[in-house]
Amino acid sequence: MSKINIKDWINSAEKELKEKKLEELFWETPEGIKVKPLYTEDDIKQLNHEIGLPGLPPYTRGPRATMYANRPWTIRQYAGFSTAEESNKFYKEGLKNGVMGLSVAFDLATHRGYDSDHQRVVADVGNAGVAIDSVEDMNKLFDGIPLEKMSVSMTMNGAVIPVLACFIASGLNQGCPIEKLTGTIQNDILKEFMVRNTFIFPPEPSMRIVADIIEFTSKKMPKFNSISISGYHMQEAGANQVQELAYTLADGKEYLEAALKRGLDIDDFAPRLSFFWSIGMNFFMEIAKMRAARFMWSEIVKKFNPKNSRSLALRTHCQTSGVSLMEQDAYNNIVRTTVEAMAAVLGGTQSLHTNSFDEALALPTNFSARIARNTQLILSEETGITNVIDPLAGSYYLESLTSSMVVEANKLISEIDDVGGMVKAIEMGIPKMRIEESSAKRQAKVDSEEQIIVGVNKYKPTEKQDINILSIDNDKVRKKQISALNELKKSRDNKIVDKYINKVEEVAKGNGNLLEICIEAAKNFCTVGEMTGAMEKVFGRHTLSSKTISGVYGKNVKSNEKISSINTHIQNFIDRKGRRPRMLVVKMGQDGHDRGAKLIATAFADLGFDIDVGPLFQTPDEAAKQAIENDVHIIGVSTLAAGHKTLVPLLIKALKNNDADGIKVICGGVIPPQDYSDLYKLGVSKVFGPGTNIPEAAIEIMDIL
Amino acid sequence: MKLQDYLRFRRIKNKTFAKLLNISPVSLSRYISGERFPEKEILIKIHNLTEGLVSPNDFCLQDEKNYDFNENQEIELKKFHQHILSGSRKHLGKAITLIESSREKDQIISEKLLELFKGNDKSIRIGITGVPGVGKSTFIESFGMKLIRKGFKVAVLAVDPSSRFSGGSILGDKTRMEKLSVNKNAFIRPSPSSGHLGGVAKRTSESILCLEEAGFNIIFVETMGVGQAETEVYDMVDIFLVLLLPAGGDELQGIKKGIIEMADLIIVNKADGELKKSAEITQREYKNAIHIIDKSRISQDIGVVICSSLNQCGFDNVWKYILKFIDIRKKNNDFINERNSQKINRMWGLVDLKVKGFVKNISSRKFVEELLKDVKKNNLSVYRAVKMISNYIIKK
Ligand code: B12
Ligand SMILES: Nc1nc2c(ncn2[C@@H]2O[C@H](COP(=O)(O)OP(=O)(O)OP(=O)(O)O)[C@@H](O)[C@H]2O)c(=O)[nH]1
Ligand SMILES: [Mg+2]
Repeated sequence: MSKINIKDWINSAEKELKEKKLEELFWETPEGIKVKPLYTEDDIKQLNHEIGLPGLPPYTRGPRATMYANRPWTIRQYAGFSTAEESNKFYKEGLKNGVMGLSVAFDLATHRGYDSDHQRVVADVGNAGVAIDSVEDMNKLFDGIPLEKMSVSMTMNGAVIPVLACFIASGLNQGCPIEKLTGTIQNDILKEFMVRNTFIFPPEPSMRIVADIIEFTSKKMPKFNSISISGYHMQEAGANQVQELAYTLADGKEYLEAALKRGLDIDDFAPRLSFFWSIGMNFFMEIAKMRAARFMWSEIVKKFNPKNSRSLALRTHCQTSGVSLMEQDAYNNIVRTTVEAMAAVLGGTQSLHTNSFDEALALPTNFSARIARNTQLILSEETGITNVIDPLAGSYYLESLTSSMVVEANKLISEIDDVGGMVKAIEMGIPKMRIEESSAKRQAKVDSEEQIIVGVNKYKPTEKQDINILSIDNDKVRKKQISALNELKKSRDNKIVDKYINKVEEVAKGNGNLLEICIEAAKNFCTVGEMTGAMEKVFGRHTLSSKTISGVYGKNVKSNEKISSINTHIQNFIDRKGRRPRMLVVKMGQDGHDRGAKLIATAFADLGFDIDVGPLFQTPDEAAKQAIENDVHIIGVSTLAAGHKTLVPLLIKALKNNDADGIKVICGGVIPPQDYSDLYKLGVSKVFGPGTNIPEAAIEIMDIL
Repeated sequence: MKLQDYLRFRRIKNKTFAKLLNISPVSLSRYISGERFPEKEILIKIHNLTEGLVSPNDFCLQDEKNYDFNENQEIELKKFHQHILSGSRKHLGKAITLIESSREKDQIISEKLLELFKGNDKSIRIGITGVPGVGKSTFIESFGMKLIRKGFKVAVLAVDPSSRFSGGSILGDKTRMEKLSVNKNAFIRPSPSSGHLGGVAKRTSESILCLEEAGFNIIFVETMGVGQAETEVYDMVDIFLVLLLPAGGDELQGIKKGIIEMADLIIVNKADGELKKSAEITQREYKNAIHIIDKSRISQDIGVVICSSLNQCGFDNVWKYILKFIDIRKKNNDFINERNSQKINRMWGLVDLKVKGFVKNISSRKFVEELLKDVKKNNLSVYRAVKMISNYIIKK
């Protein structure tokens, strides 16, 4: 073998490039990592991570020795909508067609610990997930699905205690002993405060709840993953891959410490911790992230001196990135999802969810869900990539990238350590702010057409495709839930209920295990809302005090004719009206998708608007009051969880009732085109869907004003 | 001075004045409205009859457009006022917009509106300052709710900084008060700092008047303890609270020295959990240091209390102190005297703004531009130019 000399390559590359410089081929990733056009063996001589072997510490190449060569990853599709009966049907359909494990999506009322009859959830019942009020709903959800065999993952964080309690009670009803239950409870509250927004209690009692669950499951449910430490939601909220990696591991550290403080032994619970990544379009970066994560986690756990090497192994679920999927030219999404799924698999995931192509429109239909499922089946059964374990190991580029990610992520982790850990950092708003910066930067790049999205800002389709979507009559679901609740409250023994609710309150005040008492409460038909209410009496309900960033969008968006046209528009407006256009950006109902709203707020302020930011979870009346007191010109409703059909009419009514219909209303977010005309009829001036170019929207809004 | 203003000022009827001039009232009203320009003899007569206050320039230079109100508009304005009195949030919101507006016409309307107000000395105007994150909004939220439960109506004003680059701003972040904002006895209004000449902050005292007219009797003005706005806010409130963190020393607090000296009451916030101890220490330190501070508004030592806005502890002491403070000052008339002198200050502030407006207006005039050229070329000294420009302004 002849020894290579990089200079030879540089020479011939420069010849090919002619006028161009070699430096122009370097690419700086959003994480600030400089990627070279060529990697060679020199690049892997000094790595910051160990490659090792699969199934052995430090597990960089995978948590199992045989990986997919023996058994492919688990196809686990996240789903849930409407009533428990409807979701049950959907699950069974999936299981017949290749799905191997369930993953339950709860509606937002349940997430936030409200029963379906609560006044704050009129727009949220059954809309973005399945409505669960009590063990009875849970029984219906798993009717005909034996929990002794089926592993069930549940995305639940805020109301984690009552919901897990109902699940366990339902398993017991089926005759499945508690120790045989398998699956995962997300139970990752820290990222709720950061990005997902379905918290209920303040951080301190919330962390106690996490520890209660880890403690209980480690003793009684050996096959159950007590937590799914999630980076997924961070990337979806705008985090770049390094941020996702670093903040997730930092969260993990915090949970380790919380459990150890409980007096648990590291080996009692560490093997049951699991992780959850988002896999976006930055193909190699995603694979590198997954490998870096496994290496870094083993390093982190090592410091706690585990005896069992399984404590060091990071096991993970992955989901392809929803935010990479677009409303425009929606069939492109099938291709995107395929690429992302491939990265997840090459990164060595243990289970995977693939999104449907109608992701940016509504919850999936049977048809779109089938294609999403088949994407995984094709990868697993037609391509042959399962046959070789960790096939990319040793790649010059990939290993070098993995190494860079380790370095960069460690920097961010130190920043968190320096302020005293993740709970402190979250209180100070550090990670949220960093993530919002990344999100604003990305939007500026997309709006300036520096970041290409096919079908959105380049190669736009000339014709609109009509896509059938799943539409839920949430009013009907809510009424059904309410009548079932009323039935339940009549038929159960309310004295016993009161007794257990009081006990829950007592345990919340003291230091017993909340899950343990709530299992008893759930068995005796206490509702999710009642159990939450009892804890809320002691802990209080948390409100977020987060600040909106400013300047990041403005700095990163390229100035062009659009931007200067906005400036003149605004100047004219000021001359005419004596002040800047003032817009209130609102989030109503329990919809916690605030990425779009925050982005709109910060970007419009950077473009010269005065922006009022409403708090999360406003009611229409509250939003109207704020708009009127601040005398805004326009209310911008950002709505993504299908609440618009209920909430926008209520908002417009509230404005009318206060003789303030002079205030214009516009909507943005995930709103199926099918609903546009209804909104216009109500008096909405304009609807801005996913993929909206912000400067263009600003001009349109100036025209409305 | 405009002739119309002179007549109003001296309470002379148009008819009477017309007689003195020996002209018909109709002609006089034409001169006043600017429809016609008076003859030279008439101009001289007017000059003499008005003690020299109304000069020929007051007729020709119509820089300010004359938005004279017709009867209909007067009626509209009265209705507007009635709405405010009857508690319409919409009209209150609009009134503040008019006050903050940079449009001349809005300014005039708002002035007319404010002239209808009767004023109210039953209210308490409370200024609150402290570094970002000290808990001002949380304090106002919890303390305000407490006052509402006592039967008060609470309003909150705050000025949010506008971006120097885009001029736009994010509002409401600093005043996130979830319970207060949904309460029907509360009104919260954040304002952008850009906008009106001289800054909207300068207009906050007028907004206070609107809120009082609408029946709000506790007015909080939230401001950050780092900038310039503190003195302005100090000069528009009855009592000025400085919130501190449980930590030692002014430097550690990141707060400007002068600001502590303006305090009428020092509140150490976040006296809860691990911080409780250090809050008590901070309280003691400030109590000891307080004697050194020149007390401006009250003759006794100013109070230093601790509280937790999160757990809603310590508010009784705060409220007791405020009541006592106001009571003492009302009894010795300091309260009303200070409000009056604040009113005068406000007047001078507005004069200042007007003058600045003039200066801004003439800076684009041809003759000024020529002056500037001469100054740059050293053909004219800075001082002579100043004299010429100020003479020009005075003549106007
Ligand atoms: C990111 C995301 C999340 C993140 C949210 C992070 C955050 N803090 O915002 C995470 C992962 C946490 C999340 C969680 C959930 N999600 Co989600 N999520 C998405 C996703 C993939 C992208 C949304 C997004 O942020 N896009 C990027 C931003 C910038 O775009 P945007 O908000 O659309 O805003 C643009 C325009 O719409 C417009 N715009 C928006 N608002 C406004 C306002 C004004 C005034 C103007 C002018 C313009 C404007 O301008 C913006 C710029 O272009 C969508 C699917 C999709 N691709 O849209 C699903 C989606 C919204 N999620 C969905 C669901 C169901 C959930 C969950 C409820 C799942 C569950 N059952 O647990 C949870 C609960 C979250 C909660 N608390 O509410 C569903 C909603 C279904 C429906 N509408 O029927 C969707 C549609 C996915 C799907 N098809 O199933 N999600
Ligand atoms: N522990 C504790 N925290 C508090 C207390 N008061 C406020 N906080 C917290 O301190 C943070 C900042 O509170 P804010 O009320 O927004 O502070 P602010 O002074 O209004 O901040 P700016 O408007 O940005 O200047 C929030 O996270 C509050 O929850 C308190 O009494 N105790
Ligand atoms: Mg504040």
